[in-house]
Amino acid sequence: MGLTGLEIYKLLPKTNTGDCGFPTCLAFAMAVAAGKINQEKCPHLSPEARETLEAAAAPPMRLVRIGPEQTPVLVGNETELFRHDKRFNNQCAIAVEVADTEDMPAFLQDFSALTFERVGQRYSVDLAALRCTSGDAGRFREAAVLLRNSAGKPLVLISEDVSIMAAALPVLVGDRPLLCAATPQNYRDMTELAQKNGCPLVVRAKSLTELSDLTEKIVRLGHRELLLDSGSRETAAVLADLTQLRRAAVRKRYQPFAYPAMAFASATEPLAEIVQSIVFLSKYASLIVLKARQPAQVLPLLTWRANLYSDPQKPIQVEPKVVAVGAVSPASPVYVTTNFSLTFFIVESEVANSKIPAYILPVNTEGTSVLTSWAAGKLTGAAIYKALQENGLESRVNHKTLVLPGYVAVLSGSTQEATGWKVLVGPREASGIAKFARENFR
Amino acid sequence: MVFMPIVEKYRSKVQEVVLGATRAQGGTRDFTVTVGGEAALPFLHYEGQIPHRPLIGMEIWDTAPADWPACFAPYFADSFRDPAVWAQRCVSGYGADLVVLHLKSADPDLLDTSPEHCAAVVSKVLNAVGCPLVVLGCGKPEKDNLVLPAVAEAAAGENLLLGLAEQNNYKSLTAAAIVYKHTLIAQSPIDINICKQLNILITEMNLPAGRIVIDPTTAALGYGLEYGYSIMERVRIGALQGDAMLSMPMIGNIGAEVWRTREATAPAEENPGWGEQHDRGILWEATTAAALLQAGLDIVVLRHPEAVRLIRQNITELMGGRGV
Amino acid sequence: MTRKVAVFFSPDGRVAHVKRNTSLWEAAAQAGLGLKGTCGGAGTCKRCQVLVRDGPALEKGTGLPSGAGLVLACQTLAAGSVTVDIPQDSRLAEHKVLLGGEDVLTESDADLGRIYRLQPLCRKVRLTLAAPTPEGNMSDWSRLQAALRGETGCDTFRISLPDLRRLAETLRSGNWQVTATLVEAAGCADIVRLEPGHSAGPALGLAIDVGTTTVVVHLVDLETGLVLGKKGTYNKQARFGDDVITRIVYATEQENGLSQLQETVISVVNQLVTGLLAENGRHRRDVHLAVVAGNTTMIHLFLALPPAYIRLEPYIPLAGSPPPVRAAELGLAANPHAVILCLPAVASYVGGDIVAGALLSGIAQEQEVTLFIDIGTNGEMLLGNRDWLVAVACSAGPAFEGGGITFGMRAMQGAVERVAITPESYEVTVETIGGVRPLGLCGSGLIDCLAKLCAAGIINRAGQLQMDFATPRLRRGDDGPEFVLVWQEEAGGGKDIVLTGNDIKNLLRAKAAVYAGIRCLLKAAELEMEAVWKVLIAGGFGSHLNIRDAIAIGLLPDLPAEKFTFVGNAAVKGARLCLLSQEALSEAQALAKKITYLELSAGSDFMEEFVAALFLPHTDLSLFPSV
Ligand code: SF4
Ligand code: FES
Repeated sequence: MGLTGLEIYKLLPKTNTGDCGFPTCLAFAMAVAAGKINQEKCPHLSPEARETLEAAAAPPMRLVRIGPEQTPVLVGNETELFRHDKRFNNQCAIAVEVADTEDMPAFLQDFSALTFERVGQRYSVDLAALRCTSGDAGRFREAAVLLRNSAGKPLVLISEDVSIMAAALPVLVGDRPLLCAATPQNYRDMTELAQKNGCPLVVRAKSLTELSDLTEKIVRLGHRELLLDSGSRETAAVLADLTQLRRAAVRKRYQPFAYPAMAFASATEPLAEIVQSIVFLSKYASLIVLKARQPAQVLPLLTWRANLYSDPQKPIQVEPKVVAVGAVSPASPVYVTTNFSLTFFIVESEVANSKIPAYILPVNTEGTSVLTSWAAGKLTGAAIYKALQENGLESRVNHKTLVLPGYVAVLSGSTQEATGWKVLVGPREASGIAKFARENFR
Repeated sequence: MVFMPIVEKYRSKVQEVVLGATRAQGGTRDFTVTVGGEAALPFLHYEGQIPHRPLIGMEIWDTAPADWPACFAPYFADSFRDPAVWAQRCVSGYGADLVVLHLKSADPDLLDTSPEHCAAVVSKVLNAVGCPLVVLGCGKPEKDNLVLPAVAEAAAGENLLLGLAEQNNYKSLTAAAIVYKHTLIAQSPIDINICKQLNILITEMNLPAGRIVIDPTTAALGYGLEYGYSIMERVRIGALQGDAMLSMPMIGNIGAEVWRTREATAPAEENPGWGEQHDRGILWEATTAAALLQAGLDIVVLRHPEAVRLIRQNITELMGGRGV
Repeated sequence: MTRKVAVFFSPDGRVAHVKRNTSLWEAAAQAGLGLKGTCGGAGTCKRCQVLVRDGPALEKGTGLPSGAGLVLACQTLAAGSVTVDIPQDSRLAEHKVLLGGEDVLTESDADLGRIYRLQPLCRKVRLTLAAPTPEGNMSDWSRLQAALRGETGCDTFRISLPDLRRLAETLRSGNWQVTATLVEAAGCADIVRLEPGHSAGPALGLAIDVGTTTVVVHLVDLETGLVLGKKGTYNKQARFGDDVITRIVYATEQENGLSQLQETVISVVNQLVTGLLAENGRHRRDVHLAVVAGNTTMIHLFLALPPAYIRLEPYIPLAGSPPPVRAAELGLAANPHAVILCLPAVASYVGGDIVAGALLSGIAQEQEVTLFIDIGTNGEMLLGNRDWLVAVACSAGPAFEGGGITFGMRAMQGAVERVAITPESYEVTVETIGGVRPLGLCGSGLIDCLAKLCAAGIINRAGQLQMDFATPRLRRGDDGPEFVLVWQEEAGGGKDIVLTGNDIKNLLRAKAAVYAGIRCLLKAAELEMEAVWKVLIAGGFGSHLNIRDAIAIGLLPDLPAEKFTFVGNAAVKGARLCLLSQEALSEAQALAKKITYLELSAGSDFMEEFVAALFLPHTDLSLFPSV
């Protein structure tokens, strides 16, 4: 558990020298508590304070790197149970599984299509997982080489047979695939193999107690690049285990579980596999292995991942795009507001309420309200001009009049100048829109 | 060393709410259903009792929807015109626990049907199915203030789940629910404080907390779902920690949100990278629902029968044979 | 040159000569007549109504002749010489800022903070120098410095060039007796005045609070520490906008905007100073020192420092701790060499006024945690003890000063300050300041009114008027639902005094901002409300504040009444302390460095606390067990 701002403050010199770049020691302490800056930035720390702070700053869950040194997939390092408390750190990695007995070229073709463009963002699966079902080391190695050469993503190698794993690794030097898995039966050899090749390793057991024991043993052998697999495969049991693992790491700092956890989708049908994966993604998996590989199936999963790992502190925004309310015509009025969602929705409902079709233009103010954005210089004549341009309002309407929120009446002049549009000052409160519309646009 | 599961201690549990009323109870339903009552975070059975599984409601309209995508036709094309047939199809064909009747026709910008007409539609649907009924107004407060009290009166004693009460418009609906013995949906705009404020306002009018289901509002996957998810998670934690004004079960009107998005409806040609619309649409709805179930949602309102099937399977797996 | 036209104002009989097509609003300002207006002359607040009696006036924008009847002064141009009537309603009233008085929780003056040693920053030193001899042949200036060094313990002295040029004459004409008026700070002394002989003239100082809404000056005798007089009035900058942001925009975007704002505030201060001097029979040349407390923006405007970046992320002031300046540089009514010190600010939205308040409250001396709240147009809050101090600022809006409220007014004669509503019949009785017919409501009255409306159930906890109640006092007005507080027959202004739904929203927002700020402070310090040992409230509600009501509406935390103290105008009192004690001044400077400012807009925590507080008393009722 991290220290609070005041607790950190008590460890600082309290001399307000400003050498850390903050005006006071307390301001610095609060920034350290919020994880915005490292305690090392204060050159006046006592050795005891440094030690205490370092211990407190150690993450409750290890950060594990899968894949080549230069372009690894990062998992773990989570500090929270709920996203509303603080942003989750490293997106859960999605691995698509293929068996070495399957048609590899067909898989590769599907796999290469699992990169998406949506709302200006790029989503992609992270890993290709190869399962040995052939029992044949040569075949497994061949498939691994093919994937390494063509999948373009780091690998997960799935086999509990150390000899099969050992046969594949020499051709994957420097690729650092995730080895899956060490079990109570094979852990000595599997761990040695992982260590020798510098590979991260999955620890798999049949219960949490067994997992705890096994992890401790492997750590004692000197390997720490670990992921945890409780062995459960039924949805409810996986959920229970993942929750326990996360709680143990974050809340209890339970050392054997201070590693990212993973889950396997077990449903036979791809759509059900996705729904199951949504459960694991929401509740604490740092890596999910599944077989569904059609774009239409994977896109919803990746979209939820992007949503879930977003910053909860960011205000809810609407897209800064013009919205038509009702059966608009080129003569319809244009209301300007901001893209803070609450503001926008109130305006939208009041405009609808006025029963006079209109356009609403939410200016991008980074999700701040009308007064706040004006105060901070984000809602300006120039910003309104930009929004008018970007949304092509000139071609949508046959007039050049816009309605400005009453609270920023002072912007009328500069808006008129910047846009060349006539400015009507609307009501201060959205509740006045209906009356305003009746008086001006009927 | 034996690993001891970490079990949270909570002070309270979610309010149980009964929907519908049988003949013996003054209604005409074949059975009632109960939601809520959880004493643990979603599906963490080792932590506390989860006496009731989440329910699936299927959304129907009282007028043929013009803007539902073509993928619904194979399931409903012949029933769109008759809400009674549509309701039956949902219950007996696709296993809906609840029918969610949306009185769209009352919308002044659509058909502007009368309150009496709407009341008659509700009676008709009640006659057609035996499960409890959820009735939503057209969404225009002024009109709903006429329609919903009329519906409440005509269906007196049925213990409908009636919505929506909002912070600026809760009084007449609350009064109707009290007089005609129904349960209320209290909707707040993705804001935990407003959610709580509305519950305080409604309970201060003397509607018992056990007759409120809250709709914290949700967006579709990709359109701010995470905000609704976090609010629901916080509402649920609040309930377990003993906040009585957050302790009601939650409903999510998912289908209506999802089937407005391009991701759910756009054909493959429009965006080849996104894959086929069929699976994509169904999963967009099922994914939204599955995520919210993890946040504590108790009543999932869906449109697509395939999404219903997937979510039913998901709930069954997560309940592991427990709950009713 | 453009032809000037004359604008006559009746009944004042003042005239302004302005460029043709100047707005009547600007003309009135030039004539020294303040008009109401909160929109900065944008034509939207509709408060600047005047009557054009005679002459050619045009409508701004259309250029058409203006209509008969009341017109907006800011939207009407003088096309030629015109005569204009300003109705009482549109005037910025001459205002007496309340400086004392007794009531429920009366502003307390003494007993606050530690008593600092009387060691004024400015004093007169009367010296007798040894006349020069062939051996003792050091220069006149060195001779003077040597003598001063012996007297003061200061090391370095500064003198103005004119005084230096006159030095030889001054020393010799006083026969090597001389009186130096010094302003000492940090081992360095400014010689602000040199007089031959041993002068008995007084040394006077000014403590000045430049607030967004009001300006207050105390005239102090620096030798005795006595306050000779106090005066306060509106900050006439209000005509450029109610709040600091509008004024920053005006200063930044209007040509000459900054100098207009500065001249305005200086003239307001000068008017107060001249009045105080005249009433006390004193002369301005004896005023040698002024200490000014104000929020960061007001200090920028006072010194005409461009304030543009205060408003923009990441909110950087030009100077938080500006260097001392001379009265002559500002045009202040004082000895031209007088030193003007502005108290240092913590950040863009926590200014020297709060530092002054912190100083006065002694918050940094206590072991226990004190909460200091200054409720004005901006709400600033300070929490801490001798180990740590955290401050936040939030924009509460001017509601508690009567701004943005249909019948809001400042605490002056005729303002309703107490309200009672009988249950069932919903009859209302009010008490006003001065016991006269009511004209409107001041902050105390608004707080009281909100509490009583909620208790009577006329508004629900969300502040919505319950229109289904059977009383004619509830009705629909032009701005939607409203509650009639005083029928026109009983009102002083001949109109029904109402509180509208929007007024209530504004009040809710103001109180929610303050309470949310307090919660964020406590959260940052990880303290429970109960850990607060005492609460000091400063601000301009009126002469008193009913703590029970303020708690009932959720403005103030639900703590036992004895924990609260109302300190009134803390800024001017803190400035006065600095005037009289070098120790206090250095303490203020240390405080400004010590206080940690927490930027509320950086997190969404504030927004969430704000929405939670938009309820009566609060969404979390358990925070208000006594309500
Ligand atoms: S550098 Fe260290 S001592 Fe100096 S202000 Fe920063 S935290 Fe305080
Ligand atoms: S309307 Fe003239 S100043 Fe506001």
